[in-house]
Amino acid sequence: MKELSVAEFGRRLAHLLVSLFILLCVTFVIGRILPTDPVGAIVGELADPAAYAAMRARLGLDLPIYQQFFLYLNGLAHGDFGTAVLTGNPVSSDLAQAFPATFELATLAVIISTFVGVPLGLVAALFRDSFIDKTARVLALVGHSIPVFWFGIVGLVIFYAGLNWVGGPGRIDVFYEGLVTPQTGLLLVDSLLQGETEIFWNALGHIILPAIILAYAAMAYITRMTRSFTLEQLSQDYVIAARAKGVSPLGTIWHHVLPNIAVQLITILAISYGGLLEGAVVTEIVFSWPGIGQYMTNALMIGDMNAVVAGTIIVGFIFMLLNFFADVAYAVFDPRMREAAR
Amino acid sequence: MKHFSKGLFVGAVIGALTISAPQLYAATPKDQLVIGTSLAQVLSLDPHQATEGKAVEIMSNLYDRLVNSTPDGKIVPQLAESWKVDDKGITFTLRQANFATGNPVTSKDVVYSLGRLLKLDQAAAANLKRIGYDKDNIDKLVTAVDDKTVRVDFSGQVTAEMLLYRLTTSTTSVVDSIEVQKHVADNDWGNAWMRTHSAGSGPFTLNRWSPNELVILDANKDYVAGAPKMKRVIVRHVPESQVERLMLERGDIDIASALTASDLATFKDKQGFTIQRIPTGGFYVLSMNAGNQYLSNPKVREAIAYGIDYKGIEKTIMGPYGRARNVPVPENFEYAIANPDWHLDVEKSKQLLAEAGFKDGFSLTLKTIAQTPRIDLATAIQASLAQVGIKIDIQQGNGSEIIAAHRARDFDLLIPQTSAYMPNVLGSMEQFSSNPDNSKEANNAGNFVWRSAWDIPELTALTAKASMEPDPKKRGELYVQMQKMFVEQKPAVLPMFERFEPIVLSSKVQGYIGHPTQLTRLENVTKSETQ
Repeated sequence: MKELSVAEFGRRLAHLLVSLFILLCVTFVIGRILPTDPVGAIVGELADPAAYAAMRARLGLDLPIYQQFFLYLNGLAHGDFGTAVLTGNPVSSDLAQAFPATFELATLAVIISTFVGVPLGLVAALFRDSFIDKTARVLALVGHSIPVFWFGIVGLVIFYAGLNWVGGPGRIDVFYEGLVTPQTGLLLVDSLLQGETEIFWNALGHIILPAIILAYAAMAYITRMTRSFTLEQLSQDYVIAARAKGVSPLGTIWHHVLPNIAVQLITILAISYGGLLEGAVVTEIVFSWPGIGQYMTNALMIGDMNAVVAGTIIVGFIFMLLNFFADVAYAVFDPRMREAAR
Repeated sequence: MKHFSKGLFVGAVIGALTISAPQLYAATPKDQLVIGTSLAQVLSLDPHQATEGKAVEIMSNLYDRLVNSTPDGKIVPQLAESWKVDDKGITFTLRQANFATGNPVTSKDVVYSLGRLLKLDQAAAANLKRIGYDKDNIDKLVTAVDDKTVRVDFSGQVTAEMLLYRLTTSTTSVVDSIEVQKHVADNDWGNAWMRTHSAGSGPFTLNRWSPNELVILDANKDYVAGAPKMKRVIVRHVPESQVERLMLERGDIDIASALTASDLATFKDKQGFTIQRIPTGGFYVLSMNAGNQYLSNPKVREAIAYGIDYKGIEKTIMGPYGRARNVPVPENFEYAIANPDWHLDVEKSKQLLAEAGFKDGFSLTLKTIAQTPRIDLATAIQASLAQVGIKIDIQQGNGSEIIAAHRARDFDLLIPQTSAYMPNVLGSMEQFSSNPDNSKEANNAGNFVWRSAWDIPELTALTAKASMEPDPKKRGELYVQMQKMFVEQKPAVLPMFERFEPIVLSSKVQGYIGHPTQLTRLENVTKSETQ
């Protein structure tokens, strides 16, 4: 089993690297073809041609595109993503700052959506066509079809502006800004580490609404998929046999159905998590959330391709990594895969 | 009955929760001012580099200049307590002031700053380059007489008044030369450091700038004119207008700028809020490419001027953003002429097209930034020009795409906007009336008229003459002549609406007076506890 796994691992890793390289080439070329003008964005609309040309040269945009690509690859090989036009910082340090904000939000959202979505899907399947099932289906449909933007605004109108239950846009209230030194970059974790419980509660109050709204959209998908996976299993002979033996409905679900749908479920959760991690652009804009989605959108707007390409690589990498983990999980959870490996 | 009581119970719980919910999220503290806006265009806070409006507003509170201008256009002392004008230049006497670091402000700092502006040679340098100062002559023209006396000689292309106005802008901010020199790397004049730090003598210091998130300014307690009333000013990036509106209503921000017209409208007559309409002295413009086979013809340009419903658009689209005006000088400026008789007149417009030989009309593209109110403006222009027989294809894009097309003369029609750099005819009009070399080879992409390929040698000469005329009365006459000539030549850069920037303030905020060239100072802004 071991040799095979190593070979398989190597094959998948090679696959991952090739995909990343292709992604890189495509993003780079698209970025250079787009008619955006980072130079104009930096030097301003009224700059004279000399200042314009000087900045163009400083950014290396006066070189032929293949040379730019080569230089970029060379930088990448040395772990250098280049400098972001927008901030003047190395892109890697910008991403290191923006990514934790997205990570914190996405992780909370995926936890919420899993803990609500999976049980809801199971119950809906178990009580098919009951009131609960219908409600779950409507909820899922609504979550899937109504844009996050609308939910964000309405959520803010009700829970922030109306009821004052949650904090507004941003990660914390402005007067707490700068009181917590970033260690992990995750505000909830850092504030606890530094014993700033007041800031922890404030940050929680700010993250909870966007997290729930993101979770709702993801939950809609998770519930629907869990329901259909479960329904498929419930009609299988082994379930009927278990029920005939006198196993309770909950027991059937817990001991028989869940293990059988676990593999598919993990894939679904990995995809949802990946989707959330790439930075929910719209949510981040509505909630003024300084995450990777907003960072990349702004970079794209001014044609800051170093930032866009690096961001794309990171997002692509995360997606591929999650896929990779899902595959590994397949091997762990699916007895057939284990058998085959043996 | 059972269900009913259950419903009642749930209702009661929600109700109780609502009433008893603790006020976890208090409004902004009364010694901190929070401004909501879009920081997407802020790329640098180095005053000798950045020229973007929001950046200017922030920088003008971090740095003092030699002189300042009041919102109504008067030149007042800032770091210079007085100045004397002679035939050859201006001698400034500095007052006793310190930088935030504690270093005294000396004439050496002034000389260093103006030199740095031109040698760094970024967009900001255009302010002085346009009137004949450059990196080669600046060391000769700006000199330290003694520790507290600075001499700025004329370049030969400017009058004293025009020079003083240019010295009020944030591009001539005086920086702490000792501090900046500590941070120089690779001959960059400290630019990499200065983009994200401050080294000034203004009422505030830069605590933090997180791009696209927020800017925090701390009060400079030792400011020469006394510590600012606010301990801290926070400028927050709120990209979504509706969200910004909610935050203002909730009290999480005190001032909201960059609201859309519909969100702005909700604050009209609303208790606890006031709308301030800040004039910019600039315009929303219809740029026509005079290199185009149709648009090179003045009759066609006049036909277009008669093909737009300015008054209607002002009422339905521009609202607080603009006022109809076809001369590139706001009506309230001294020597502004009356508006020409351009209004929507389909018959006249058609007739002009026929005279030009295009009876059957033609098609043009119209490029615009996808942004309120310009995108709605484009649609309205498309509709009325269709009646005349000109078919418009609208192409939207983001800022950098559209600006790039404009600079490259790659458009038929395009809707840019302008600002005045000083509150007089020249300050608002110069960019519409000066194009020294229209040839493609000149590649003068920083020039607004060049981009439209509109060749106006006479008007350019007249503008140059006006800017060199020392006698105010004669200069006034030249101003009037310039505007008349502009209208007669059927401009390829057609002003449509004078541009305003409406902002909404919580009534708690006192003493905020928006400055037309974004030099709004915040040291005297206060917040009362109740509205």
